[in-house]
Amino acid sequence: MIETPEPDLRQQAQRAGSLTMTGSVATRVLGVVAIAAVGVMALLALWISPADAVQGDSVRLMYIHVPSIWVAYGGFVLTAFASARVLWRTRSGAGGTYGVIADRHARRWDRVAGAAAELGVLFTALTLVTGSLWGRVTWGTYWQWDARLTTTVLLFVTYLGYLALRRLPAESRARARRSAVMALIAVVNLPIVHYSVDWWRTLHQEASLNLEPGGDRNITGEMYWTLLYSWATFTVVALWIGIHRYRVLRLEELAEEASLEELLAQRRDEQAAGR
Amino acid sequence: MSDLSPRLPLPADADRVEARRELGRRRKVIVVTFGLLLLVAAVALFAIGLRDATEFFRNADEAIAARDELGERRFRLQGRVVPSSVTIDGGVTTFEVLHNCASVSVRHTANPPVLFQSPWIPVVLLGHWEEGDVVTVAGRDTHYFLSDDMVVKHTNEYAAANEDRLPAPTEAPEGFLDDCPFEVPRL
Repeated sequence: MIETPEPDLRQQAQRAGSLTMTGSVATRVLGVVAIAAVGVMALLALWISPADAVQGDSVRLMYIHVPSIWVAYGGFVLTAFASARVLWRTRSGAGGTYGVIADRHARRWDRVAGAAAELGVLFTALTLVTGSLWGRVTWGTYWQWDARLTTTVLLFVTYLGYLALRRLPAESRARARRSAVMALIAVVNLPIVHYSVDWWRTLHQEASLNLEPGGDRNITGEMYWTLLYSWATFTVVALWIGIHRYRVLRLEELAEEASLEELLAQRRDEQAAGR
Repeated sequence: MSDLSPRLPLPADADRVEARRELGRRRKVIVVTFGLLLLVAAVALFAIGLRDATEFFRNADEAIAARDELGERRFRLQGRVVPSSVTIDGGVTTFEVLHNCASVSVRHTANPPVLFQSPWIPVVLLGHWEEGDVVTVAGRDTHYFLSDDMVVKHTNEYAAANEDRLPAPTEAPEGFLDDCPFEVPRL
């Protein structure tokens, strides 16, 4: 017979069980801003910005395709940064050698790494899909094994592997550390993807915007501003989703902890009952 | 102080614990299998990709220079389409591609992409050299390129369709023909 848990443990379990919402006033406001920004972006991308002289209306795919990969890059860089923090905070002598992660900062960075990688994968998938559609219209093919496309799909598959690794059953510290190592290896591909069009001959065109000071820009007028606006919009949307994902990961941890506390409480009850 | 040391499951719980362990083992097998499949996919993608990726095409001038070496081997050829050279006859599109003032006569046997119609558009063609006397804007040649696959390689420049600063649609891009010792007929 399972006895009722002790009050403080029961409260913890209830607390974890009742935390089913990831929203807050800030995220609701952010959500409204994100949705409004997407609406304005649609207006700019579909009606206000002009068709391209060569590509015609298909150029409008650029306003999804390019910001998607920029946001994905941001997600992967954040994953790498957070992973480095995890490794630092859980090194020997800083957080034990095995078991759960004792350091709350390390746990936070681990959640940041996970949420950012999920965003990166999501937006890389969007990049690949929109790029494929755009390629069909402009190049005349959905896919070619050129250096940019190949390294991008490799980036996607690598981070899918990273997310799979995070799901492997293990002690939280071991899981976090091995995921962090993989994130730091995977991020090496990022500059390769970005500079592949400069380093090798590719079907994919070179970068149209040089973001270095005094760099060239090969996009004119409303198209340029629409692209920058779309990037800002995608960033807000990614931030919104990312915060929710972070909180979901936190809730999963709380539920796990509550489950453990419940088991411990059962043990105490059994002992008190003389079993 | 409660005893929290590991214990053996009670007989009544044994099945449940075993079932949970089995579930854990199965989950682990699924995740490891999925991970290995992803790894294999990544390696395969990398191998396939790298085979072609680093030198995706040869420019027209390089293809001419390497003609003996290439023989009848299939490769990708890149150049800008000379607008005045395009003719279509019986499903075969004949045109010239130009790069670094070297011109290659092309016979393309498949349907070209829609953007092929844009003057001076860069294209990448998959095919091989064939012997045959041809005349190009650069002069006579003993070979032409027989192609059955074409992709358009658009540039990284974007401008509104009606923008004033654009060159007239049939003019070559600025500087493209500057060093060429021949004239290219206008469309």
